[in-house]
Amino acid sequence: MANPRSPGTESSAPLRVSGGVFTLSILHLESNNPQQLAQRIAEEHQRHPAAADFHRHAPVVLDLSAIPEEAPLALSAILEVLRAANWFPVGLRNAAPGHQALAQDLHLPILRGQDRNAAPQPETPPPTQPVPASPGGLIIDHPIRGGQRSYARGGDLVCLAAVNAGAEIMADGNIHVYGPLRGRALAGVNGQDTARIFCVSLEAELVSVAGLYRTLEPGYPLWGKAAQIYSRDEQLHITALNL
Amino acid sequence: MAKIIVITSGKGGVGKTTTSAAFASGLALRGYRTVVIDFDVGLRNLDLIMGCERRVVYDLINVIQGEAKLQQALIKDKRCENLYVLPTSQTRDKDALTTAGVTAVMDELRKEFDYIVCDSPAGIESGALMALYHADEAIVVTNPEVSSVRDSDRILGILAARSRRAEQGEEPVKEHLLLTRYSPKRVEDGEMLSLEDVKELLRTPLLGVIPESEVILQASNQGIPAIHMENSDVAEAYKDVVARFLGEERPLRFIQPVKVGFFKRLFGG
Repeated sequence: MANPRSPGTESSAPLRVSGGVFTLSILHLESNNPQQLAQRIAEEHQRHPAAADFHRHAPVVLDLSAIPEEAPLALSAILEVLRAANWFPVGLRNAAPGHQALAQDLHLPILRGQDRNAAPQPETPPPTQPVPASPGGLIIDHPIRGGQRSYARGGDLVCLAAVNAGAEIMADGNIHVYGPLRGRALAGVNGQDTARIFCVSLEAELVSVAGLYRTLEPGYPLWGKAAQIYSRDEQLHITALNL
Repeated sequence: MAKIIVITSGKGGVGKTTTSAAFASGLALRGYRTVVIDFDVGLRNLDLIMGCERRVVYDLINVIQGEAKLQQALIKDKRCENLYVLPTSQTRDKDALTTAGVTAVMDELRKEFDYIVCDSPAGIESGALMALYHADEAIVVTNPEVSSVRDSDRILGILAARSRRAEQGEEPVKEHLLLTRYSPKRVEDGEMLSLEDVKELLRTPLLGVIPESEVILQASNQGIPAIHMENSDVAEAYKDVVARFLGEERPLRFIQPVKVGFFKRLFGG
């Protein structure tokens, strides 16, 4: 049989849904005028033919922070212009509430971005107010070995021993490790970007907060030091903990 | 009540079977009724190391499948009064080990013996899981190199999660670290992880250090458990391990490089 999963013999396996992090181009919309956009793209592509190639079939997110809330938005016309230029618009961000409704009509997702009217925040130091204590949480007092996974659903994960290479610890909230952190640590896995990772000896293979991640290697400046990892402006920051 | 001890490692070739043979012999020399079981179905080795390969008639799998009685499969060791070997099958594969069958054998052995030593196969598949399932204590055999340490870490995690004690919420399996094939000279030269490195990485109480030695090869080729190799470092180190296991205090030996004298260096050994 060519297709073993014909409708009659539907498999009862559950739907497989998993998470992923993608890098997308963001197009900052300058005006609400579709003709002007078409003209700007044409000019740009004429000046830099390589850019036209680069953008061909590229998924792109439209950033609407420059479009005033009260301005009318011909969203479907703008999407047409982009598609005509061989771009694939996949979502909106920083859209005003009225514009968000338009996007919903066109089945275009609103992607989480910086807040529309947020004032620029100072780079350092990190905010001092504590992340609210969470109701769930998990305290582990033995080493977490390679191949083991621990997940604190809905709360913080506290490990009082080593997290060894090949181990994976995850929490919806913060992660605290009071032994060497040598495995992977993922805080805020359900998207809470105020979550942080605290450790007394940073030797991790990978650290992640709310989907932002990075890998580490022994040459890293804070290697083996007490450190905290947090997310700010959609960037992962790692700073020393002066205990 | 008998105590069940698994000798395990994750990685192959680190010295599990050598340790099983020496450790079980050491317990028997101390007067304890001891049985050592080979769980490496299909890759039967323990009988060779124990020098009883020509006396294997029935094996663990025959007992599990009801083809032989336990008493028929147990081989009495020729050197130690209190030691028995339960060999495994060379012709079957690991699927022949069933949970119920192994449990029944363990229950029967518990009545007869003080210590049951289980020689685990390498890996983390069913054979290794069967070997560690009933354990009360575990000796994790590790070589001073990173891949061995990582595999030991993995098996320590499995011990904590998949043993009978873990499943039934009893007190966890007592873990011991045994560092084998240790060469102080190579540690000094930076070619090997040091004792401190391994302890720091695994954070498991150290039961002993067995030095790298040619004696091990001689012993296994002659079918003599290494603890019987008189006047060797290895035999002494294994005797220390048994003593520490039984709760005696013994200082660590054979962890410093041997200083070669000037004349010996000049004229050779």
